[in-house]
Amino acid sequence: MAATTATDGANGGGARTAQERLQARAPEMELIREAQAGSRLAFDTLVRQYEHQVLRLALHLTGSEHDAEDIYQEAFLKAYRYIGNFRFECSFYTWIYRIVTNLCLDQLRRKKTRKEDHAVVMDHSGDEIDRLASVSDERSFSNPAKELDRKLLGERIQGALEKLTPRERMVFELKHYQGLRLRTIGEMLSTTEETAKNTLFRATKKLRTQLAELR
Amino acid sequence: MNCELAHERIVTAAYQELPDEHIHELDRHLAACPECQTERDQVLALKILADAHPVAEPPANLVARSRLKLEEALDALPPMRWYERLSQRMINSFASLQAAPMAASLLLVAGAGAGCLGGYQFAQNRAAHTAAVLASASAGQQPAQQAPAAPAEIANISSIVRQPNSEIVEVRYNQVVPQRMQGSLDDPAIRQLLMLASENSASAGVRDDSVGLMAAECRAGHSCQAAGIRDALMVALRYDKNAGVREKALQGLEPYVAEDVRVRDAVLEALLYDADPRIRTSAISILEPVEGDTSVRQVLHTVAYSDQSPQIRTVSREVLRRVPEIQ
Repeated sequence: MAATTATDGANGGGARTAQERLQARAPEMELIREAQAGSRLAFDTLVRQYEHQVLRLALHLTGSEHDAEDIYQEAFLKAYRYIGNFRFECSFYTWIYRIVTNLCLDQLRRKKTRKEDHAVVMDHSGDEIDRLASVSDERSFSNPAKELDRKLLGERIQGALEKLTPRERMVFELKHYQGLRLRTIGEMLSTTEETAKNTLFRATKKLRTQLAELR
Repeated sequence: MNCELAHERIVTAAYQELPDEHIHELDRHLAACPECQTERDQVLALKILADAHPVAEPPANLVARSRLKLEEALDALPPMRWYERLSQRMINSFASLQAAPMAASLLLVAGAGAGCLGGYQFAQNRAAHTAAVLASASAGQQPAQQAPAAPAEIANISSIVRQPNSEIVEVRYNQVVPQRMQGSLDDPAIRQLLMLASENSASAGVRDDSVGLMAAECRAGHSCQAAGIRDALMVALRYDKNAGVREKALQGLEPYVAEDVRVRDAVLEALLYDADPRIRTSAISILEPVEGDTSVRQVLHTVAYSDQSPQIRTVSREVLRRVPEIQ
């Protein structure tokens, strides 16, 4: 699973002590301080450290190289502009991921508005109702018995993921594919661990409904 | 545990986020609830299914392209000006303080504490110094100093004591507060105090001591410069109200009668005008080395006929009778 690719903050809370984590982060902290002092070289080094993770997340969330490229550029430009505001209260990983997730959320919202302007309506309680979910899919790959190859399955799952709200999509992505802990996800999305857990629950429920016929 | 809560916990457990105590509770519920077992199976199936849409590594071209574009964008950014950097740092510092009220409070308390402690110590040192000055003033004692104060700063000399069989004298003098100084008679500072004592002291005893010591120095052949102790002795001989003091001054000047005209004049004045017959008599005897001088003979003539004391007149005549023989 992609969860194994996640680094600091994802599964570091186990055997590693806080002191070990701090020691591991010491060179990075030095780089950040230099970048804060205006060192372009230090900032470039930080970019090299995180660019693959940023692109991986953006690419998986947007499904578009072009969008991933835009998010990459905007995220690091923001980081460069505001690195002076970084106060070491969280890891740099969490900080840069927060920027990326916010940009991805904006992108997902724009995309959803464009593609599904008429597909999503709000029910009386304020929850989103997906009209498409109640419409039968007559495309050829909807029949798993005939088209259950890996590529089409992936596309179907991608389709199901796109039907989630941007926030649900983001929580599911960060939890399932990036392997982050719910507490870290809550930090990145500026919410609580409990809210992140509830969002994950809703996302899995929706996905199960969407993908029920594939199982 | 109800099924609704169990469903939430099944998801949490599938992602290894459920605490151990809840896991046991959930296991017990699942063992007794087939519906929730199905729910768990479906969640696990979803997890497996979702993995069919794996996270792909970004293509190398995409990475290179993105990096290049970013570098171009960064190069195009105007460099941050010094005041922008300064304002950012100030904002950060302020934000840090806001974010750490406890640290800010501790810093404030520590600063206030250090200030109070410093102030307290300063006040204590000041009080101790004042107390020491007052104590020495009340006791009339001040730690011995190596250098005396300037003459203008000395109010008066209170006492002079010579240590037996030594050159060491102790002079107590007053400034604003009483002070004390100890040193050799050859010490210029001590000598200066002695001279001041001979001129200014209100106490005849002190004047007597100082003049006596200076006279002894002169008689002993120690340094007795014309502009120093010798002058002080001549002043004492002419103007001191105490006859004992004048007598000692006269004795101190004796070695210089022959060589120093000013001393001779001072002795002649004493012979003519001193109120005390003992001093006038002593002056006659002191003048013996120079009794052939004209000025001395004139004075002796005057004294021989006009001095109130018959004994002095007699002695003067005897000296005058002897003078031609000497000449």
